[in-house]
Amino acid sequence: MIVAGRQKSIAFFIALGAGLICVIILLYVGWVLLNWRHGILLVLGTLLMAAIISGVVLNTIFLVREIRLNAQHDAFINAVTHELKTPIASIRLYLETLQTRAVDEARRLEFYRIMVDDSERLLGTIEQVLRTGRIGASRRRLNLSRIDLGGVVEQCVERLRAVHKVAPEALAYHPGPPVTIVGDAEEVRAAVSNLIDNAVKYSGNDVKVTVETANVNGKYVALRVTDHGPGIEKTELKRIFKRFYRVPGAVATRVKGTGLGLYIVRSVAKRHGGRAWAESEGPGHGATFVLQLPIVK
Amino acid sequence: MSRILIVEDEQHLAEGLRFNLEAEGYQVQVVDTGEAALEMVRPEAPPFDVVILDVMLPGIDGFEVMTQMRHSGQFVPTLMLTARGHPDDILRGFAAGADDYLPKPFELAILIARISGLLRRREWLRASMNHSAEAPAGPDEAFTFGDKSMHFDRLELQVRGQVFPLTLMEANVLRYLIRHQGKTVSRKAMLEEVWGLHEDTDTRAIDNFIVRLRRYIEDDPTHPRHLLTVRGVGYRFVAESQP
Repeated sequence: MIVAGRQKSIAFFIALGAGLICVIILLYVGWVLLNWRHGILLVLGTLLMAAIISGVVLNTIFLVREIRLNAQHDAFINAVTHELKTPIASIRLYLETLQTRAVDEARRLEFYRIMVDDSERLLGTIEQVLRTGRIGASRRRLNLSRIDLGGVVEQCVERLRAVHKVAPEALAYHPGPPVTIVGDAEEVRAAVSNLIDNAVKYSGNDVKVTVETANVNGKYVALRVTDHGPGIEKTELKRIFKRFYRVPGAVATRVKGTGLGLYIVRSVAKRHGGRAWAESEGPGHGATFVLQLPIVK
Repeated sequence: MSRILIVEDEQHLAEGLRFNLEAEGYQVQVVDTGEAALEMVRPEAPPFDVVILDVMLPGIDGFEVMTQMRHSGQFVPTLMLTARGHPDDILRGFAAGADDYLPKPFELAILIARISGLLRRREWLRASMNHSAEAPAGPDEAFTFGDKSMHFDRLELQVRGQVFPLTLMEANVLRYLIRHQGKTVSRKAMLEEVWGLHEDTDTRAIDNFIVRLRRYIEDDPTHPRHLLTVRGVGYRFVAESQP
């Protein structure tokens, strides 16, 4: 209901902007037809009109952007609320169950395991949100050190195999020649972990993810994470790196998330003098995410 | 044994609920999408006594599931369960036809109490239908006023040939008002008699039901002629439309 209302208000303002521009052009053409003899006035008028029209266009674009951002922000708040409250609800449910019912030994251990999983999930969400806040504060300096990228990737892969309970064949790592980069170890680890985590999450039940590192022209190292998941529309390849952005549709409601993961990846890449991008042949063809960072000798 | 359907895509929560409700002696079925839920409540499938419905589901969401269920004439008592506790969301849940709404995280004891409340209400309704002969004062099968008639046995309201399906709670509120027609009933009395609640619950929930009932039975819901507000007290039902 609320979303439909917002769509309507966007449509109204776009129509208003377009309508006003049409009126201006009409008035202008009329004015030129009436006054074509006065040369200087004509030039002056042309310039002024051009200025007014670009002003109106800019204004309309700005307005629509703001409305979109606002909508994404709402969606983000909803997603974070869900991501924070669901694990808490689950932990609480199991605690109350253990408190009020006679539970046999095997079940009790199972419940403990579920609660640990849920607290991990909760912690993951909180860290993601806090990291976004830190990255947003651009004045914060990076905690630079020399990092063995291969080692970081190896650790992330092993941790995520355990978290998602996938076999080494399903989440394979093909290390390239060892490389050293200079960067903030914590941020680089978060970016690598987000990329691999996404690949596994979006793969659904049939996980087939490959992670590889390769040298690019001796200057950069590229981490490529390839999955055989739902794939990405060409038009979405850039947008998915925006803050709060989630691809609309069924996949995003099936896979829970806050819309921060790829934003963090891109920000970390930029802060380290590298870049991050996505490649996909379209829906149904899987996707490859690349994180490219400069090498130090 | 009462049968409960849990519609929840968060596996941990669903399994925790299943364990507890089975421990309470209910027969529990879990599905993780709205589409599967609609499939489970088809008329030819074995009926459920209560449905617990999550809002954020993959595919169609809980509000949509609720609306579709009520539109297809499926009036099983439903408790909506969601992380979104915003008043707008709660109202939207009730407007879609939910009988109760509980935000996450919830207390286990409260959830179980609400489920047994929904089941008890259902039992009472059944009992009151079976005792129609002993209660001549109240309308038990059908009641006609003006050009409208309410069929309590089918939970249907007919207005000039049009048929509106009511939820169980809507029907119960209307039945209570009709039983006391001409007299003013307080919100507190309605809470106690219809919902079976005795604590100081927020009585504005009732106003919501009244708004919905007015939409069905009043020609102009902003100027009600059957379901009158008595300021500061409650409501009064009159069968003959007031000028």
